Amino acid sequence: MTGGTEQCRLYKMDPDRQPVMHRQFRADPSTVRDTLIFMREQFAGSASPEVLSRLELALAETLNNVCQHGDPVLDSGRVRPDGPPLIHLWIVRHVGGIACAVTDDGIPLPADCLAPRALRELSLISEDSLALPEGGFGWFLIQNVASSLSYFREGPRNFLAFTIPVAETQLPIVPTAAAEQAQV
Amino acid sequence: MQLNLFPQSDGVTIQVDERRIDAAIALAFKDRIRSLVAHGGDRVVLDLSAVEFMDSSGLGAIIAIYKSMPAGRSFSLIGLTPNVERVFRLTRMDSVIAIRPASDTGQTAERRVE
Repeated sequence: MTGGTEQCRLYKMDPDRQPVMHRQFRADPSTVRDTLIFMREQFAGSASPEVLSRLELALAETLNNVCQHGDPVLDSGRVRPDGPPLIHLWIVRHVGGIACAVTDDGIPLPADCLAPRALRELSLISEDSLALPEGGFGWFLIQNVASSLSYFREGPRNFLAFTIPVAETQLPIVPTAAAEQAQV
Repeated sequence: MQLNLFPQSDGVTIQVDERRIDAAIALAFKDRIRSLVAHGGDRVVLDLSAVEFMDSSGLGAIIAIYKSMPAGRSFSLIGLTPNVERVFRLTRMDSVIAIRPASDTGQTAERRVE
């Protein structure tokens, strides 16, 4: 039953396994995708798949935001000489959560991104599907899955940090086929 | 992008054979599905059972497809994986777009589209 062993390797929490990841890359949707896939590999087994999916969603929305608003034209009207913003990403698994820090040299984050968000009243728009919003969900999703969201601007760089909480006692331990057989 | 078409008596089921609908493919995804929907019959079903990850740009693409459906035609989703379902639930789009269990496909002949 190699499948069972594999499942155990992926899902069973190793108390000593607290991965750390740092990456530096230009803001681009394909690079964001590669980075998120790499993150899933690096952090597999360090928390439940549910937590890692929340982490992936929060990071995707954060990094997509830099890509979308990493305006190549600077405030001065000059085109950025060095391409899309340069992102630094740190992810650290620690007790109680997975901490993320994202910095970039794109345009400043508008203050209302971090303001508490509410969805538009669906009852007002569901009658008319053409009024449905197609965007604007990113920060709402980040605020839903992340905690301790904070932001500051220092010089030419944005600094954004958040934590994905991990309920350590509720991590699912997937029994291996060998363990199941041992119990029989 | 891999999409599999299953023609039905009253429409079409489009199986999305992609693990991710993210910002890297959302625009192309929207355009491809919309062009398929244009000839799809009255009932269009999007099978997302292969999709493991979707972000808000993927959600926006699906909302745009839903909005582009001509009056009188139905559009629904099947086979949502937990991560995809979460995005629809958190944004409450699950109360706007019809989401059905995966067993509803009624798949018949398959036509592959690259």
